[in-house]
Parts: sequence; C-alpha cells; structure tokens
Amino acid sequence: MGQKADELRADLRELVNSNMPEHFLGAFTDDPADLEAAQAFCRLLAERNLLCLSWPEEFGGGAASVWEQTVVREEMWAHHEPRGAQYMGVNWVGPIIMRHGTEEQQQKHLPPIARGEVIWCQGFSEPEAGSDLASLRTTARPDGDGWLVSGQKIWTSYATMAQWCFLLARTTKGEKKQQGLTIFLVPMDDPAIQVRPIRCMMGPHHLNEVFFDDLRVTQADVLGTVDDGWSIVQEVTSFERVGIARYARCERLLAAAPTILGNRWDELSAELRGRWVRMLTHCRRARLMAYRVVSLQSSGRIKPGDAAAYRIAVTKLDQDSAEVLMEIAAEVSHDDPRAAWFLGEVEDHWKYSQASTVSSGSIEMQRILLSRTLLAAAK
Amino acid sequence: MILDLSDDAKEFGREARRAFEAAGGDQLVQDAEAKPANREALVGPVLAGLGAWELDPRTDTDGLEAAAALCRSAGYWAVPYPVAERLAAPLDLDADGLVVVAGTRPSGVLAGLESRWAAVTLDGARSRVSGLGDAGPGFVTELELSAVDDDGAADVALGLVLPCWTLLGMLDRAIELTVSHISLRKQFGQTLSSFQGVQFQLTDAEVERSGLDILAKYALWSIGTDQPDALNDALSLRMSAIEAAEVVFRVCHQLHGAVGFCDETTLSWLSRYSQPLRRLPLGLSATRDELTRRVGGSGLTGLFA
Repeated sequence: MGQKADELRADLRELVNSNMPEHFLGAFTDDPADLEAAQAFCRLLAERNLLCLSWPEEFGGGAASVWEQTVVREEMWAHHEPRGAQYMGVNWVGPIIMRHGTEEQQQKHLPPIARGEVIWCQGFSEPEAGSDLASLRTTARPDGDGWLVSGQKIWTSYATMAQWCFLLARTTKGEKKQQGLTIFLVPMDDPAIQVRPIRCMMGPHHLNEVFFDDLRVTQADVLGTVDDGWSIVQEVTSFERVGIARYARCERLLAAAPTILGNRWDELSAELRGRWVRMLTHCRRARLMAYRVVSLQSSGRIKPGDAAAYRIAVTKLDQDSAEVLMEIAAEVSHDDPRAAWFLGEVEDHWKYSQASTVSSGSIEMQRILLSRTLLAAAK
Repeated sequence: MILDLSDDAKEFGREARRAFEAAGGDQLVQDAEAKPANREALVGPVLAGLGAWELDPRTDTDGLEAAAALCRSAGYWAVPYPVAERLAAPLDLDADGLVVVAGTRPSGVLAGLESRWAAVTLDGARSRVSGLGDAGPGFVTELELSAVDDDGAADVALGLVLPCWTLLGMLDRAIELTVSHISLRKQFGQTLSSFQGVQFQLTDAEVERSGLDILAKYALWSIGTDQPDALNDALSLRMSAIEAAEVVFRVCHQLHGAVGFCDETTLSWLSRYSQPLRRLPLGLSATRDELTRRVGGSGLTGLFA
C-alpha cells in the first residue's frame, strides 16, 4: 500500500491504543462514557488533521490517497469505530455537501463535521421502503415558500444523538417512483421531529423510529435540486460501495485468539483450528477483493458486480467468522486477565455480524446486482 | 502485492486461449481420452509454438505471470496436458516437469506421457519418476519414485500454485458456459436466467470464482517476491481453490440440468477433468490439515500477524 499508508496505520494504532479504553466496544452503549470517549477521539483526530483525511484540501482535508483512506477504514472498524457516528459525516455527508451544497450550506455544515463536533443520521428507510427505497411515503407538501414534511422513518441509526438528518422525502408524484424525491438537511432538535428508540440485540442507539409531523422546511434546506434527490441517493450509494472494512475486525479477533488461549490453543480440536485457518484465508480473500474494488473504482473501470461480489464475500465472512470465534470463546479460561476483553469483543462481533447481510444494502440486493452484471456481459 | 496480472501476461493468456482453440479446443480432451499416448502430440506443438518452454517462472516475475496466464487458458479448454507441472520444472534436476506428491500413494496426471519427471513432497523430498502405474480416470497414474535429495522445499509453492491457476481457468469456463445456458434455455415461457433462484445460485458460484482469482494473484506475488510464507500462501490458495471448485461445479451442474452430464456438453468434460486438480496431491481436508499444522497459532500473514 506504500510507505505513507503504512505510517498512517502505525499512527492510527498508536492513537487508538493510547486514547481509547481497552474495553471500548463502540460509542453506542448504555454507558455515556463510551460516547464521550468517541467524541474526544474525533476531536483528537481533527486536531491532527486525520479526521477528514480523505477530503480535498480546499475543504480542509488531507487529500489522502485511496490507500490511505483504506487504511483508515480498516483501522477504525478493527477497533470498533472509535469515531462513533462521525464516520458517516466524514465519509459521505460532507463529501455530498461539497458536491451539491450551496456555499451557505457548505459554510454551515462542513466545518462542524471537520471538527468532529456534529452527528448526522440518515433518513432513508421507512416501514414500507427498505431495499425498495424509492417507494418511500414521507412527503413534503408545498406550504407557502416551503414545504411541510410528514411521515415516518425507521431503522435510523444514531437518531437519538444526531443533530442533523439527511432526509429523503417525496415532493412530487413522478412518472417513475425515482422521480419527485428531494433531499433536505434538517435539524433534529425541531419539535416537529420525534425519535423513538427501538431496543435491539446490537445495543442502544442503533435502531430508531423517527416521526415527522408537519416539519417546516424551506428552499434553504434543500440539497441539490428539488425533485432530483434520487441522483444524490445514487451518489451516496457509490460512496458506500466499498463500505465497512468488516474483514479487519474479523482478522483482528481471529489473530488474537491463539494468544488468548495460550497453551490451550493446541488442545483445541484440529477441526476447530482448521476452521480458524479457513476464516483467516477468507479474511485475506475479502481484503484483497476490497482492494480490487478500490483500485477499479479509482481508475474508473469498476462495474456494479465487482463491488457486489466483495460485499457478499465480506458479509458472509463476518457471520462465518463470528460462529468460529464464538466456538473458540467457549474454550477461553475466565481466569485469563484478557478473557473479559476477548469475550466481550467476540459476543459483540457475533451480534453485529447478524445484521451484516441486512444493513447498508442487503445481500439479496448485492446478489441481484452481481447477477445482472454477469448476465449483461453474456448479451 | 498484485491485484492483477500485467498487461503482457494477460495478452499472452489470450493468445494461448486462441491457440488452444485453433488446435481443437474442446475436442482436445476428448481425443486425448480416446488415446492418452497422443497427449504429447496433441498439445506439445501448441505449447512450443507459444514459447511456453522459454518462460522462466522461477527467476523472472514476468515469466511467472505469463506462466500463470498460460495455465489459466489451458484450464479454460481443459487442455489434456500437465502444463502447470511442466512449467514448474526444477532448474537443478534433469527433468521436464515437477509433480507435487503426497507421502503415500504418490500420483500424477502423467498417463501416456514419456517425458522425464521429478516429484517433490510437501516436506521437500525430491525423487525422479522411474515408472508409471496403470492409467486411471483423468490421466492419473501412480508414480514409481527413486529418491534424489531433500532439497526441494523451494519447489513446492510453485508446484502447488500453478495448478490452481489451471483450475481457475476451468471455473472461468464453467461459469461462462452456465451463463450462456441459462440465458438461452427456457422453462415456463421464460429464460432460466429470469428466475431469481437461478440468479442467486449463479452469484454464489461467481463469488467463489472471483475470490479465488484474487487469492491466486496473491500467492503468485508471494512466490515472485520470495515471501517467507510462500508455502503457507500456496496451501491457503489450494484450500480455497478446492472449495471454490466444489461450489462452482455443483452450481453449474445444477443450472445445466441433465444436459450438463452429457458428453456433448463441455461442462461434463470440465467437471470430470477438474477432479485430479482437486484431489492431488491432497484433497480439501488434508490440505486444510497441512496448512493448520504448518501455521500453528501464528496464522497467515495479514493486517494483524
């Protein structure tokens, strides 16, 4: 990946090791200290110009190479995303506002994201519009010089802690369902917005319902062009093409297992150790497939199927490795001083992995994309 | 590491594919099965014409990538000749090719060939092939060996990796044939490819093939740059190659339906002739056991090891 990327990896690991609590399992727990730790870490990254490494220099970023960006994705996910929900603002909300925002919107939103001070949530999914997002029903009906937004979003991560929402709503009934949709940037502290947390196995803050009851918005809140929000949604999707570097956390935990087991490692069944080696191979496979997507994307040669094949491989790896790790965890002696760390990590990984084939584009959607690419090539 | 072969290597692979097609394509393996003694005559001139024996995969990275591309193209046509094994020939033994063998019942796909062969075990024990047993399916024959030395450890990784490239070429072809078949074959008034159940099986196969493709490049890079873990990387690749072949051929047979078992269908030949590549020198379980034993608790080289 190059010397700069290697140095960056070492710097990030040092920062994580020195500044994050050892038992940190992400910012979204019942313990407010975890969120505080993540917020402080974001400020630290911002001070060192590492938070917005991927942003262009004109917006205060580091203009990092695609490989440096890859290193950031890997190290952050491997260590339970110590940026907390900030990753969304940094990874795609900020860049999309750079592309489509007015000067006023850029001045208003980009500096707080760059300083690591603001949390965004994504108002896309609805009870009747998941994978089929364009079927959403939240509407913005004309009212004076603006609109009134009414409807319900669901599965909205971080809505309880977010200050802003990247909201997709229908402004016009188009000929096609992808037409007539508009993006609004709305403040979450508006009394017309109600958030109801949904308790779930991943822990608090991950899933919420968000209700909009005649939320007043104006042209100043519109991102891009009215009725043309779908093209921005497509861009958001392309920012998430490589997605989370799930393989990095899988690999970190798998690599830690023999150390945690110590002398007992060799007493594990040969079959379980064989499955462990197989998972390490699958980690390598997913990582290299991700690198191939990054390379193809940066050279403009990518096809939808390239990213989809990787996404299928990495989400299956997440679940398969979680099962192997749970089996290994059952053999860990609780007397070991690092046992609590490992067991907590593995349990969290298993819970998270159950959602990996559902969130951010379900595995079924990835399969559809991949099969379309394969079949189109044959025509 | 490399994420793709060089343009020259890929062009060489395309040239080889065209040459094998011109020499008979799918008919080659059928003719060789009818007369195994003709294998050399059927394929040898094509390989010589391509300059295969001038490639130097051991000391030259370009040669290594070209050799891999050649093996892939040979797999695509199920070329009835041990191309990978010939390309892995050791430099310091008077032999035309090298077969990696298991410690027990050493075997190779040498039936009908009269060339001079060397063999090496995974632990690096080298032998000359002094005789061949009876020919079995897929040109497999047990080998009679005469011990030479124990200096072959450096030969093993290349001897394992190149055949995986051959198998990869077979998977390329199997999926290509299957995509064509389901795009043409109709049931209930629509092509098979319009059924999501069919599409999703196809993607399972493609993910395996695509993953094998990138691991094969990694293992090649590991050999070309003399990585200390090149043998573990080769075994890791081999394990994945066998798993991928299992998924791909199962899916491709299923989606072809009964016609996929018929000798008039190329898939039937590919599927059968993939077997020696998947079973020799070690099958899936034994390959995984060997890799597990070798890596111990250290695992594979990666982000955290």
